[in-house]
Amino acid sequence: MTSMSARAAPGRTRAARAARRAKTTRRAMLNAAGLVVALLALFPIFWMISTAFKPATEIYSLTPHPLPHHPTLGNFNQVINGQAAGMGLSFWTFARNSLFVTVSAVVLASALSLLAAVAVARFKFRLRTSFLIMLLIVQMIPANALVIPLFLDYRSLNLLDSLIGLIILYAGLALPISIWLLRNFVATVPRELEEAAALDGAGPVRIFWRILFPLVAPGLVAVSTFAFITAWNEFVFALTFLSTQSKYTLPIYVQYFFGRNGASWGPIMAASTLYTIPPVVFFLIVQRRMIGGLVAGSVKG
Amino acid sequence: MAVVEGVAAPAPKVRLRPRGVSRREQWQRRLPLLPALIYIIVVTQIPFVVTLWYSFQNYFFDIPGGAHFTGLSNYTTVFTNAAFRASLVRSVVMTASSVIVAMILGMAFALLLDRKFLGRGVVRTLIITPFLVMPAAAALVWAGPMLDPNFGLLNYLLTPFGVHHVAWLSTHALGSVIVVMIWQWTPFMTLIVLAGLQGQPADTLEAAKVDGAGALATFRELTLPHLRPYIELGILLGSIYLVNAFDAVRLMTNGGPGTATTNLPFYLYQQVNYAFDVGGAAAAGVVTVILTIIVATFALRMFARVFQFDEAAG
Repeated sequence: MTSMSARAAPGRTRAARAARRAKTTRRAMLNAAGLVVALLALFPIFWMISTAFKPATEIYSLTPHPLPHHPTLGNFNQVINGQAAGMGLSFWTFARNSLFVTVSAVVLASALSLLAAVAVARFKFRLRTSFLIMLLIVQMIPANALVIPLFLDYRSLNLLDSLIGLIILYAGLALPISIWLLRNFVATVPRELEEAAALDGAGPVRIFWRILFPLVAPGLVAVSTFAFITAWNEFVFALTFLSTQSKYTLPIYVQYFFGRNGASWGPIMAASTLYTIPPVVFFLIVQRRMIGGLVAGSVKG
Repeated sequence: MAVVEGVAAPAPKVRLRPRGVSRREQWQRRLPLLPALIYIIVVTQIPFVVTLWYSFQNYFFDIPGGAHFTGLSNYTTVFTNAAFRASLVRSVVMTASSVIVAMILGMAFALLLDRKFLGRGVVRTLIITPFLVMPAAAALVWAGPMLDPNFGLLNYLLTPFGVHHVAWLSTHALGSVIVVMIWQWTPFMTLIVLAGLQGQPADTLEAAKVDGAGALATFRELTLPHLRPYIELGILLGSIYLVNAFDAVRLMTNGGPGTATTNLPFYLYQQVNYAFDVGGAAAAGVVTVILTIIVATFALRMFARVFQFDEAAG
């Protein structure tokens, strides 16, 4: 806008230049503010990673330095070979448990929520609205209120100290929001597309895979990211249900060796750094679709 | 402003087969819903019914003999229990303050980020990372390297201001836990608001500028109303999750010192794990759920306005 008015009135170029300079300064200040904010927000993460590479003497130094003077992989080694927790199991055991539980829960939740979303968005039937409201209420029930009964149920079903039990549970916890988000995606797919395909003689299964599925895929991405983070981070149920050490998931592993020798911050930070990698990688892969999906799926503006 | 689906996209009212959908067909339509429905009921509804049942029982893990019916006595205990009420209040304080502050910061960040600048993509990706850190890990980063009384970074940075060896987790426990929650949830709020800002039609803003509206007036009159559904979505999702916050409390302060950071989830956890009081915990759980539903109903009213319930569409 400024440049246009400057060109329109050549006599006021000096004023225009001054205005432009003021705008540039403002911009620079805003950029600087943005930078400071980003740095502040990221600093604890930087500190976590930096601490993970520091030898103990530097971690407990009274004058902390931003970067390790003598960077070491010792903390990571201790975590990976399991020395840090002193239970004779390597990090990979827990990483494998966590990945197995998380990926299975994501697949299960995505499949079930896709089916349900199609039903809710496409077909009219009695109690449909009640079903949708129930989903939201379920999502708001505090997990800790479910811990006791699930503990007792699982105990009688022999699912208590089992990863399968956690998968079943995590998929269930992710379902309500998943269905809710996906249903809006299904609703935005024009019905005419399906009807045209049906006229061309495509069966329901074919219509689903060839028409609906590709269009709903971004929604599935958002849903699976959400389910991934929920399952990967889950703490309460894993803490209460798992008792065999070789079945621990990562959050329980870190809390275990935090509880055992509370002050070994080097290995704890190394473990935290390692745990952060999978969600970040997952998010980087799906990020564009994730945010667009989350918002498009819930807000119509 | 958000529009109810039925208004936004006037769904074609002409059905393909308007009359007489057969019973069989109706069931075929419901069929895809059944697995998820049964699943949700099994995982979340049955346990709730079981909780209800136990809430009327006297049942301690550590006392042999199993459960026996005690009527409403567990509920009387819950309502007369000062510890329960205190943890309820703490839960509300924790959730409300962290969600509100995170949303205000998130809006500020989103406004800062909603401009063209070098490396915008990278910054936007980076800024979400606090949200991606496992809450247990985030709690530990803050509990140790950041807030430790001796080698913690915060005390070091505050030394010039005459602060020495403050044990933040003992003296400002509740505040410390809230800070961690705010730190984790601000990025989420930023992203939601940012998505809203990007959906704002540029021509309206341009028009406002031409009409000589100041930045503040434009923000208040145009941007804020446009952002409203996004802000509400952020607050709702944030509240649902933070009301259940457990990891940070368990790992940073273990509910203490004393009961300074014991929120409802942690209180329930203690009832089962330390007091072995299944009946009491179940009753507390039921009361929690009922309170949550009351709060949720208010939220839902908001939801129904903002999101699309299909009654309008038929």
